[in-house]
Amino acid sequence: MSWRPTALNVSFVTLAGWALFLGVLTGRADLVVVAVPLIVALVAARRIGAPAAVHLHHDVSAERLIEDDRVTVTVTLRAERPVPLVELLEPLPPRVRLEHGRNHAFFTLRAGEEVRWVFVLRCAGRQRLHLGGPHLRSWGPLGLAAAEGRSRAPQTVAVYPPLAPLRHPPRPLRTQTFVGNYVSPAQGEGIEPGDIRPFAPGDQVRHVNWRATLRLGTLHVTQHHRERNADVVLMLDTLSEVGAPGATVVDVAVRGAATLAAAYLARKDRVGLIEYGGQLRWVRPGSGRAQLQRLLDTLLDASVVFTYVTRDVDLIPPRILPTQALVLALSPLLDARFVRAATDLAARGFDLVVIAVSPVASARSAVRGGRVADLAARLWSLERRVQLDELRRLGLTIVDWDGVEPLDVALAALRQPRRRRVLA
Amino acid sequence: MLRLAAGVLVAVLVAIPLAVRPAAPVTWLAILALGVGGAGVIVLSVPIVTTGASLALIAYAVALVIAGPAVDPVAAIAVGATLVLLLALVHFAGRAHGAALGPAVVAAQVRHWLVIVGLGAAAAAALTAGGVVLGPTLRGTSLPVVVVAAALGAVMTTAGVIALVTARKDPPGTAGR
Repeated sequence: MSWRPTALNVSFVTLAGWALFLGVLTGRADLVVVAVPLIVALVAARRIGAPAAVHLHHDVSAERLIEDDRVTVTVTLRAERPVPLVELLEPLPPRVRLEHGRNHAFFTLRAGEEVRWVFVLRCAGRQRLHLGGPHLRSWGPLGLAAAEGRSRAPQTVAVYPPLAPLRHPPRPLRTQTFVGNYVSPAQGEGIEPGDIRPFAPGDQVRHVNWRATLRLGTLHVTQHHRERNADVVLMLDTLSEVGAPGATVVDVAVRGAATLAAAYLARKDRVGLIEYGGQLRWVRPGSGRAQLQRLLDTLLDASVVFTYVTRDVDLIPPRILPTQALVLALSPLLDARFVRAATDLAARGFDLVVIAVSPVASARSAVRGGRVADLAARLWSLERRVQLDELRRLGLTIVDWDGVEPLDVALAALRQPRRRRVLA
Repeated sequence: MLRLAAGVLVAVLVAIPLAVRPAAPVTWLAILALGVGGAGVIVLSVPIVTTGASLALIAYAVALVIAGPAVDPVAAIAVGATLVLLLALVHFAGRAHGAALGPAVVAAQVRHWLVIVGLGAAAAAALTAGGVVLGPTLRGTSLPVVVVAAALGAVMTTAGVIALVTARKDPPGTAGR
């Protein structure tokens, strides 16, 4: 860092110039004397040594947050030599608000003194929050010289979408071979009792149903249903979005996808993710907490990437989209390419549920109120209802979700047992 | 608090010419300086405050011309010191507006400002004393002295501008190292 003259020098020079000019013009020595303190200040500002080095330590309280959580940023300053005035500014990224303290501060440091500067940020939307360290400016005497620099202490805080409780996620039509929470129609090892049949060689004694045995006079055993898990693939539409930053339909869909992923993983299901947009990205189905972290990290980066290229679902490998999987498509259904992909999957016999995230509420919150806006929103809602009815007539299972009500409420319509339907 | 202090300094700056001679043109200029300077203090703008201070300086010159009193170095030093303090204060207040101030920042700043203002006042007093001593001996030779001083000033200004333009620039991001 080195000193640079600031714009304040112009003011000092202007006033000193005025005083000298008026002194010469009027022949009054008083005005020349007026200029002297101004000139002395200008000279004093240039007669200072090199700016003192300020050591900064930048720390954040958490590296992983949920939306609307707070993170405390602590900056510790220390200087070997006295610093008359040091200014610090931590620029706030978008969708981050100051909750407590200030992101702009001034300090005076004595030699060897350590000062702590603390402020609290509130992260409003999902993002990878990059805090690059504060900008630093040392001020010379009277503010006539300044030395600037930036402390490079990049830190990233992942702000994940919130996981809402989901008691009744859509039940898959088909199960897999691994142990899970779904009672399979097939008989085998499990805890859910099924039929009773006569004892056969090889049956275990603990399966003998003593009450039926006593009543019928011969040994009978209780059969059990197997408990199986399912493959669930979340398909996120990132082809288009509407709404204010942080509250777009993609943000709403991401919150829904995160909630569904957590709910299915808690039921021992394998969950995968396909981001169907300008960039076709996916996460292979898996289970466990590590898989949830993987999915949340992928959802964190989900965004609309504009492209004219239409990628077909044929590009998705079968191991990513197993034929037995329950596919949950979260989409505002604004882009015809996604509608085509969804109908294509349903026509191939995939167990598909489309969660249609309403773009009307997101768009309505982004524009100023008024009668025209209200009318447009109502017309859009009607058009959307017609579109959803047409897709239902084609055989798609569609759940309408406005993003405001809990996802559990929107999915209540699917609690009735679903049947496989054939597309018209 | 900083705004109030800057407002007091503007009032002092405007009051000095009125104390010299409260004539009509001086009063009008002082009112104008008070308005412009006050506006600059309210919005914490250094350029507007500079404009107001320039108007106050013109009012002071007009008052001196109209009244024609003997040279008053104390009042002149007071005007110069007030100008320095006013500019430094408004600049600092504008920078620190909305920012967190560490403990004793304002007190430390005021100490620094007063030291420099004291230096300026001492230099002005020394200049005045020198003028009083040397004035009679240099009477009649003022024109060559003015010419030499003007030439020296021009050379120093040119050198200063060249030094500013050719100043070495540090690579970005070297703070705190």
